[in-house]
Amino acid sequence: MSEVALVTGGGNGIGHAVALKLAAEGIAVEIVDWDEKGAAEACREIRTRGGRADAARVDVRRSAEVKAAVARVVERHGRLDILANIAGGAIHRKRIEELSWAEWKEVLDINLKGTFLFCREAAPIMIGQKRGRIVNTASNYGVTGSPLRTPYSASKAGIIGFSKSLALELAPYGVLVNVVAPGPTDTPRVLEGWDPELRQKRAAEIPLGRNGTPEDMAEAFYFLTSAASACMTGQTLHVNGGWVTP
Amino acid sequence: MRLQGKTAVITGGAQGIGRAIALGLAREGASVVIADLQGGKAEAAAGETRALGVQALAVETDVASERSVDNLAGQALGRFNQIDILVNDAGIFPQARVTEMSEDDWDRVLDVNLGGNFLCCRAFAPSMRAQKSGRIISIASGIAHTGGIAGAHYAASKAGIVGFIKALARELGPDGITANAICPNIINTELPRSHRTAAELHERLIRNPLGHAMEPEDLVGTILFLASDAARYITGQAVNVNCGTVMI
Repeated sequence: MSEVALVTGGGNGIGHAVALKLAAEGIAVEIVDWDEKGAAEACREIRTRGGRADAARVDVRRSAEVKAAVARVVERHGRLDILANIAGGAIHRKRIEELSWAEWKEVLDINLKGTFLFCREAAPIMIGQKRGRIVNTASNYGVTGSPLRTPYSASKAGIIGFSKSLALELAPYGVLVNVVAPGPTDTPRVLEGWDPELRQKRAAEIPLGRNGTPEDMAEAFYFLTSAASACMTGQTLHVNGGWVTP
Repeated sequence: MRLQGKTAVITGGAQGIGRAIALGLAREGASVVIADLQGGKAEAAAGETRALGVQALAVETDVASERSVDNLAGQALGRFNQIDILVNDAGIFPQARVTEMSEDDWDRVLDVNLGGNFLCCRAFAPSMRAQKSGRIISIASGIAHTGGIAGAHYAASKAGIVGFIKALARELGPDGITANAICPNIINTELPRSHRTAAELHERLIRNPLGHAMEPEDLVGTILFLASDAARYITGQAVNVNCGTVMI
């Protein structure tokens, strides 16, 4: 039986690349994204290439929507083997004294709470199957910190801590939980928001001499869902061209 | 076959983890150079990889000897012209508490485990630089992070490998070479078998969150990933393959 994956944030950027990679490996993919159009487009792309995909609009902060999304996958396929939590972002770049409580909550909810909600729904299914892979998304900023990104760094460091605890909870059931921590990645959203000169300067600081691509990240996500990583759980894989070496 | 046309050097490749890695790389189509202090066993392992349809060369090597490592590099490059992958696995672990540890114990462990990494990387880096590509993967240990009783020299050498690899990744990154370390937990090899009963060994091996007794073959998936194009943007990392024992 072929595997089934749910990819949050699968309509854009890294999530989009992960959805395409998993589908190319023969895995049926359910794409959920806040951006309904992006999710539908990714779904079409996969189907055009002969893969299997479905798409839905989901706000990862709302437990009812998360519950419904996971229930839909199970209804459609009868199982859920892989959960890739990629929805998130570094919104609200502000100094701490300018940051409102609502803005703080928004970043923490999208990145960290969304990951919690999806894991909470997926875990019982994977426990029942005695098998499952969860891959969450951190960031090098979760380890190094970054000015103007206090809530983002907190949420990403939170994902690392959360994933370690969840890995220990689910290990007895053969369910593995790991994290990919991307470095600077040329996603459409990042390319739009970045001064090209600054981007070049950043690339020069990276030992491998370039920013990452969504496809670079997708390879790491796929590795952590595959048999090749069967002895890894609770780990954070940093994919950043050597920029950060914790 | 992900590594067709590539050539890999595996130090400590005659037995245990190194042998499993050599066979794993060969199964993906890579030619292999098996470097090991035990020349006869290296030749036997080379024979096993040849049976998989790849070319193989065995070179008796003391990784703690400059002359011996230079000979290895000369023979490997002489035979295959290009070395794409270097796996540093050769290592020793004579148990001793610090208070009873001789200077010779200390020197030997540091020279083989850490010095061997330096000498082998120094020997193969120039050709990798010239070809603007290369993968260096060193076998460190979870003990680098946790320490362990009766192995302070081993812990120092393995933590040293992690630091060395991070620095090397920064030096060689601009030339398209990646350098990473793998930190395993205890694995069922001759070393842990040598001083335990079967029951003790099993109990020790499964003492991890996944309750899985790791075999040398369990490292192969990560080695192949790091050696393949899929890991092109990963460098300077210590990847923990340990069934959840240490999470850093």
